[in-house]
Amino acid sequence: MPANPAIKQVSEVAWEIPTSYKPGMQVPARLYASKKLLDSMDSGVIEQVTNVACLPGIVRYAYAMADAHWGYGFPIGGVAAFDPEKGVISPGGIGFDINCGMRLIRTNLSFSEVKPKIKELVDLIFDLVPAGVGVKGSQNFGQSQMGDITSLGVKWCAENDLAWEDDPQHVEEGGFIKGADITKVSRQALSRGTSQFGTLGSGNHYLEIQVVDPERHLDRDLAKEFGIVHDDQVMVMIHCGSRGFGHQVCTDYLRVFESGMKRFGIEVRDRDLACVPFSSKEGQDYYAAMVCAANFAFVNRQIIVNRVRDAFSGVFHRDAEALDMHLIYDVCHNVAKVETHTYDGTKAKVLVHRKGATRSFGPGNPDVPAPYRKIGQPVIIGGSMETGSYLLVGTQKAMTETFGSTAHGSGRTMSRTAAKREVRGSELQRKMLDRGIYVKAATMDGLAEEAGMAYKDISEVVETMDRAGISKKVAALRPVGNIKG
Amino acid sequence: MGYRFLPDVALADIAFEAESSSTDGLFETCALAITDIMVDPKTLRSTTERKLSLESENLDRLLYDFMTELIVMKDVDSLLFGEFKVTVSPGGTSLTAVLRGEQIDRVRHRLRNDVKAVTMHLFGIRREGIAWKTTVVLDI
Repeated sequence: MPANPAIKQVSEVAWEIPTSYKPGMQVPARLYASKKLLDSMDSGVIEQVTNVACLPGIVRYAYAMADAHWGYGFPIGGVAAFDPEKGVISPGGIGFDINCGMRLIRTNLSFSEVKPKIKELVDLIFDLVPAGVGVKGSQNFGQSQMGDITSLGVKWCAENDLAWEDDPQHVEEGGFIKGADITKVSRQALSRGTSQFGTLGSGNHYLEIQVVDPERHLDRDLAKEFGIVHDDQVMVMIHCGSRGFGHQVCTDYLRVFESGMKRFGIEVRDRDLACVPFSSKEGQDYYAAMVCAANFAFVNRQIIVNRVRDAFSGVFHRDAEALDMHLIYDVCHNVAKVETHTYDGTKAKVLVHRKGATRSFGPGNPDVPAPYRKIGQPVIIGGSMETGSYLLVGTQKAMTETFGSTAHGSGRTMSRTAAKREVRGSELQRKMLDRGIYVKAATMDGLAEEAGMAYKDISEVVETMDRAGISKKVAALRPVGNIKG
Repeated sequence: MGYRFLPDVALADIAFEAESSSTDGLFETCALAITDIMVDPKTLRSTTERKLSLESENLDRLLYDFMTELIVMKDVDSLLFGEFKVTVSPGGTSLTAVLRGEQIDRVRHRLRNDVKAVTMHLFGIRREGIAWKTTVVLDI
């Protein structure tokens, strides 16, 4: 992106666009980026984040994180908080894949133990966790149970022997967001969802076997708090969301909101910014349906974790408990939640939209689970399948500066169509194997689209957020086995 | 007439532009583009037939709902279609369609991307000369 004179640097890695940039901006826009990331950021981010700044009831700033890229409506990597009485709720600020998120599970295995069995392990997980176009899950609960599942999330799993006792407390919001109402979800969404529990999906969703990478970064003291105690410890990372269920909820309510906007006299600069007052019936109905989808996603990732535990247990001939396969954490990165924050000197409830952005609550926050409260909430940032990922923790500065939010991943720099022109899936698979990453993909086209070259440098993104002080690096993780949806 | 993918739109998803000399043809072209994103159409047989009737408030919304219906049938019934015969009503608010395809076969079909939703981004049907055109961004 050419230098934009409207963007003013306010610190080494923070930039602002004043309200004078565009008619209708209620608040300035704030971007987190190194100079290198800012220069490579697509111009759509600037247009979209300043469109978000025009929405009714937005408070403080419209934010774009270091991984921001062109989305629809909001940029991906966007954060916006709204006054719950005067402000709006927008499906475009959450994304179609409601509660797309990340899970990180530890093991007590070292890479030297896993390396000889990586192919067997990845192949088995590929069989147990369906991925790709139109797949069905192994666990079909039926529509009569959907009310309980989508109300109670991982808590329901724990009550039905589908989660370990300590799993729910290691999931954002304790494994379920309050406020679900299944009667606000359409028949089509229910039909799409009931058969998809335990499926990975496709696109940028993946399941990865990773190894702690002290050469890139390891804060041993902090890592110990998460049970990361040796340098080549094996971890499992899962990236997926609410599947067809969440997408249908978003589709359904975009229609409701388009007609709702006329009734409320709201005009937006982009149809994907459709929004209604959060306090309206339409707004409350969408929130209740969106929460159902968010809880669906928590359960989807839980079922996948159960299959992963089964696979490790089968390959290494030990119980998953003996392999210490505890959940480190599960974070949402496509969601809106009512949270209490202090801003402009006042403590108040706000509706925080995070679209491709992660909650990053700091030490001492009562919403951070007890085991992590003294160090801050774990933040899981997934990179491309070639470049690795990071575990971080939230900070107090995030609470004061970004409504407790940080980045979520690398962020794309190249479209899927363009990536496929650059590399063939089979060639990429072979090259990755040469570099010690065994990949099993549902489709070769899908693999090519996820090549590392299509993404920003994850380390640059993480370093930027660390330097900004709104999340703090704990450990770098490098991929050794990958299942690509 | 036909469709072309747009490499510079929607980095994380897939966008295409479709055009036809008729609204029936535009709907059929959009359906073919969606199938092409999900599966190599050459590997798809026409062993199953579905009939579809839809009503919507306007032509834009009718196309949006038609494409969404294809995505729903993929998820709920595991069906992919490669042949489409669409008849849009003169007022552009309803259609009937005959779809031919088959259930997903992971061995025989060369599967591609899972399309999960039609977005409203850049969406809208426009008339350019004798052609009906639209831009569609699909969530992947």
